[in-house]
Amino acid sequence: MMTATSTTIPYTTSNPPTLRTRRDDVSAVPGALHSEWIKLSSLRANRAVLALTPMIGGLIAWALASSSTGSDLTASELLIFPLPLVAMLATVTGILMFTSEAQHGTLAATLIARPARWVIVTAKAVMAVTVGLVLGTTAMLSGFAGALLGGVELGDSSAIASRAGWALLYISLAALIGLGVGMIARHSAGAITGLLMWSFVIESLLAPALPDGVVHFLPFSAGYRLLAAGPDFDPPVTIVHELARPQYALIFGGYAVISLAIGTLLLYRRDTN
Amino acid sequence: MISVSGLTKQYGDRTAVDDLTLNIAAGRVTGFVGPNGAGKSTTMRMMVGLTRPDAGEVRYDGVRYTDLSSPARMVGAVLDARCMHPGRSARNHLRALAATSCLPSDRVEQVLADVGLDTAADQRAGGFSLGMRQRLALAGALLGDPQILLLDEPSNGLDPDGIRWLRNHLSAFADRGGTVFVSSHLIGELSLFADDLIVVGGGKLLAADTVQGIAARQAVTVVVETPQPAELVRVLTAANIPVDVDGDHLVIRGSTKAAVSELAFEHGIRINELSESSPSLEDSLLDMTSGSAEFSPA
Repeated sequence: MMTATSTTIPYTTSNPPTLRTRRDDVSAVPGALHSEWIKLSSLRANRAVLALTPMIGGLIAWALASSSTGSDLTASELLIFPLPLVAMLATVTGILMFTSEAQHGTLAATLIARPARWVIVTAKAVMAVTVGLVLGTTAMLSGFAGALLGGVELGDSSAIASRAGWALLYISLAALIGLGVGMIARHSAGAITGLLMWSFVIESLLAPALPDGVVHFLPFSAGYRLLAAGPDFDPPVTIVHELARPQYALIFGGYAVISLAIGTLLLYRRDTN
Repeated sequence: MISVSGLTKQYGDRTAVDDLTLNIAAGRVTGFVGPNGAGKSTTMRMMVGLTRPDAGEVRYDGVRYTDLSSPARMVGAVLDARCMHPGRSARNHLRALAATSCLPSDRVEQVLADVGLDTAADQRAGGFSLGMRQRLALAGALLGDPQILLLDEPSNGLDPDGIRWLRNHLSAFADRGGTVFVSSHLIGELSLFADDLIVVGGGKLLAADTVQGIAARQAVTVVVETPQPAELVRVLTAANIPVDVDGDHLVIRGSTKAAVSELAFEHGIRINELSESSPSLEDSLLDMTSGSAEFSPA
């Protein structure tokens, strides 16, 4: 039953308002980051993604290891095989970090609380990268364990650190692209469908029809190149290697930066409902 | 004081807010009224930087909202009580808001208690009634212990107990020196606790006055029943008092019961019945906004 409660709100003061400075904005970033962490960790769906990731990683690597008798794949190579799928989870999480706020109206409350839009974008971008790093690390650890359980050799362990580093860059940039596309689309279903369609259907259809020189510049084709296990490793989409991994990283990172920049510009220019 | 000057917002061909200029006094409850489509919500969204005005600006003691160093400590706003993630608990919703505003987390527990949601703090907001959502939204606005509350239709979805609770809460806030700017279509409800009223229609300012001042803008009506209506009409017309004839009754606006009775006595006109009615606040407001309603009953 609703009853009138006795108010215990502290008495208001009449201090004159002070003007916002760049320093105020910078010092608000840790709070905005904490807020993003609370938003992310307080939803069941995100906890479910985190719980699913080791299962996906372990299962994919174990299945490939079990069925790869005769091939020379090793656990140190198989650990990155779950990454393309887990990167999609990171991308979708990046999308939802913005679109769920826009669709449920909490974006308005966030922007009322912190009108400096760049603070919110920075916090979300850092959190998207964190999501990528956590999911990527979890997937690779479970993939490594799954591959060993599947009965393959350990392989050249000295290459694991470099391979894992590139893989983590790939998945972090995938999460940032998701955030950028989410900021542009502001609609969960549209952004997720559009990005998955582009990644799995349009790019796959375009790749055979386009010259290799152009294919290298397609976002996810470039992104996959970061997962190359070694000189003889064919990534999920087989394309002649012409560029080095740092160049592919620049291309994939460029898409992340451009999508985030457009999303940020729109956040400043659009009205928020 | 909140100063709104020349605020204008155009959506395509439609002007939602048209050169709106007004001042909202500090330490008072100001009601913001007008029919649907009058531009109330657009104005309130522009007041907190969610909607970019095409022209004009809003200043809080001389400072624009987006230039305030700590906006949550100056202004608490509830623009849409449905704005919360259904899968997040009330406590986590407020914790996230407090962190964004760099407010201490113990404020969360205080405002949860203030709005009576402390026992439901760990329930997911998706299961909340609209009344509970209104309380949670108000808790979010109170987090920074602001000097000003901006509330857009806060009584929507509240039952009578809830409306009373809200009224008491806002009155207590104003009694402590806080400024309340509240839009509502429940004029009668608003008249119980508002000090001032700002009336808008078609995006334009129609009136800004105290509640009493607005109510007094429509003249008192005197109704007379007389066996000599023609004589009384002649006397009233000669005295420049407008009169309508409704059967045996004469309806007189712009005069008083005493003045009409005096005139009738002087001219030897018999009166069977004489009554006077003051217009309600609602009548006054409806009269003011009748030409600007977006949709009107046939």
